[in-house]
Amino acid sequence: MLPLQAAWAFNEVPANSGTLRFGLTPVFLSNDLEVLDELKMYLSNATGYDVQLVTQRTYQEVTALLVAGNLEAAWICGYPYRKFQDELALVATPEWRGKPLYQSYLIVGANRGATSFEDCRGDIHAFSDPDSNSGYLVTKAYLAERGLSEDAFFRKTFFTYGHRNVIRAVASGLANSGSVDGYVWEVMKTIEPELVSQTRVLVKSEWYGFPPIAAPARLTGTPLFERVRSAFLQMASDTLGRSLLNRLQLDGFVDAPPSTFDGIAANIELVRRLG
Amino acid sequence: MNLLASIRRIPLTFRIPAMVALLMIVISAIISERVLSRLYETQRQHMAAVAGTYLDGLSMALVPAVLRGDIWETYDILDRTRSTYGALAPLETIVTGRDGRVLASSHPKSVAPLAELPEEYADRAPGQDGMKIDWDKRTGFGKRELVYQGRTVGAIHASFDISHLIAERREVLNTLLATNAVLATAFAVVGYLLARRMVQPVKTLADHMRSGTSATLLPIAVEEFPSREGEFAELFHGFNALVEAERERSALTLKLAEEEKLASLGRLASSMAHEINNPLGGLFNCIDTLKRHGQDEAVRQASLSLLERGLTGIRDVVRAALATYRPDRSGRALTLQDLDDVQLLVGPEIARRQQTLNWERCPDTPSLAALSGVAVRQALLNLVLNASAAAGDGGKVAVQSRVDPETCALVLSVGDNGPGLSNHALEVLVATEPAPASRIGNGLGLWMVRKMVDEAGGFIKVGTSDIAGALVEVHLPLKNPLEVNNAA
Repeated sequence: MLPLQAAWAFNEVPANSGTLRFGLTPVFLSNDLEVLDELKMYLSNATGYDVQLVTQRTYQEVTALLVAGNLEAAWICGYPYRKFQDELALVATPEWRGKPLYQSYLIVGANRGATSFEDCRGDIHAFSDPDSNSGYLVTKAYLAERGLSEDAFFRKTFFTYGHRNVIRAVASGLANSGSVDGYVWEVMKTIEPELVSQTRVLVKSEWYGFPPIAAPARLTGTPLFERVRSAFLQMASDTLGRSLLNRLQLDGFVDAPPSTFDGIAANIELVRRLG
Repeated sequence: MNLLASIRRIPLTFRIPAMVALLMIVISAIISERVLSRLYETQRQHMAAVAGTYLDGLSMALVPAVLRGDIWETYDILDRTRSTYGALAPLETIVTGRDGRVLASSHPKSVAPLAELPEEYADRAPGQDGMKIDWDKRTGFGKRELVYQGRTVGAIHASFDISHLIAERREVLNTLLATNAVLATAFAVVGYLLARRMVQPVKTLADHMRSGTSATLLPIAVEEFPSREGEFAELFHGFNALVEAERERSALTLKLAEEEKLASLGRLASSMAHEINNPLGGLFNCIDTLKRHGQDEAVRQASLSLLERGLTGIRDVVRAALATYRPDRSGRALTLQDLDDVQLLVGPEIARRQQTLNWERCPDTPSLAALSGVAVRQALLNLVLNASAAAGDGGKVAVQSRVDPETCALVLSVGDNGPGLSNHALEVLVATEPAPASRIGNGLGLWMVRKMVDEAGGFIKVGTSDIAGALVEVHLPLKNPLEVNNAA
């Protein structure tokens, strides 16, 4: 999304009660405009609100808008959700392959001979976003556990602000390795096989809570909060909702407990202590 | 020098078109060079302009990312612009940061981030327009500094595929070559036709002249004259006038020769009449004696013997004269009889002048078939008559015929005790190029001797005879020269 458009979206969205401002991070396929259209249409139908989708380049911008109350809900990563746990409330959590969980993948070029994480020492490494669990925190925590910082282990790191971009960076050879959302990698393998096939998964992480839908904590219990929550939880029973889930290759949305994200919290703690 | 000489031997009709074609090739080489160098310049400027646009557009987008040292953003911009600048065909674009190291390239697999700028880029200092073209590698190189607030924060290095420019150049070159080849060929053909047309009269003239040396000289027919009046027409007219004059001279010569023949015949005839007349008186006396004393056996026998000898002499003279002047026998070969006949024919003339004739004939010879009987006879007759005239009354004439075994030639030598040959006679007999017959005046007899000797392939030697006068030796080959050589 162009910054100008984002600014326009930010400034012009009225805060009246009939509008649902829904924020999106590039956690999923933000480049697919049809997904965005369907999501907007489904949420409008399901909640009865005038839905305004707000997309930003970084997780941080979306999280900031959400925490500040400038968004009624947003699809964010588990990492910012646990970081701002006191100010945010869980709305729903996507279910992928039967669980509300996903993994972080460490990917390398398809032709590379590396066999372990240790082989990536001295790499140019592509991260997705500093506020991404799978695209940054998981790898950083893994290194912190071994007493290393990413700058010491890798020769150079950079952020691409999108999981798809991490795949592009590794596929093109710009980066030797990358940290990417396992769900995004698996979905893209079916959508853009020629791009994804230029990469391969070297290391898969433990399972973490899938990036959830969150809302400002102050909205908890309000009709808006409930309508949004039920809209996501009921998605699988709606025709348009099923089409959307199909596109996203998700089973549906579930009401997962906050403890689902304890793994992420543990990583945050690890990094704070050792990183 | 040999090459030059052999070039000069090539006929004009080929030399002119070859020169025209050569000239065309030189001209077309110069023109092609000019056109191609102009094309290079145009292509270069065009390339620089297009590449400049590409680099300018890129630099505007890249400055913020390069300023931050953002590898991903830089690559993302390069990757996206690759499709939009498809027509320009950038092969590779590399962005370097402030430290000169690669920040990102369009093809990270070959030029990775943080690497040094490849030497092929570093080595190529672009020209003033920021463009450097390497025709051999089919690549154009462009460089643009990234300037932010007056400071250089990095640079874009781009290489472009210039195959299409090279293809265009090759196409232009091929077109030039084809056009020039066609033109050169066309000019050569036209040159050949024109040259042939121009040289045709010369060739006609040369053909006529060449035929004149072996056969009769013929005037150029009117149809063969060049269509327009001009230098060649004048030349042809001149040639025809020359031929006409030569023909008249030949006719005159023939006529003179005939007259000379007749004159010598007249002289011989009068001598012969005298020769025949002399014995006639005696013969009539014999007839009278027979009429009156025929009954006397002894007288009759003596008279008849006398008559027989007298008539035999007359018959021999008449027979020799017949042999000389019967035209139907002109083609036959020479025999010894012919030489004897000459002795007989000149006998009366010698007797009239009360001269002594010393006649030595070769005892026998190999075949004389190579020589013409009539011509040799006439020539010997002329020589002997000439010697007789030079010797004067009561003089001496010596004639000898022999075969020279070394050269295999029949040698006829005629000597006298006269005052020797005049310069004029010497010129006619032994000069390399004797004057034409029409200018001989008197001495036509000797001219005919010379003509016979030349035709027979022999030669004439002139000297002083044993009897103090002139000696003329005629050498006539009996075989053709090749056979002589083989025999030797």
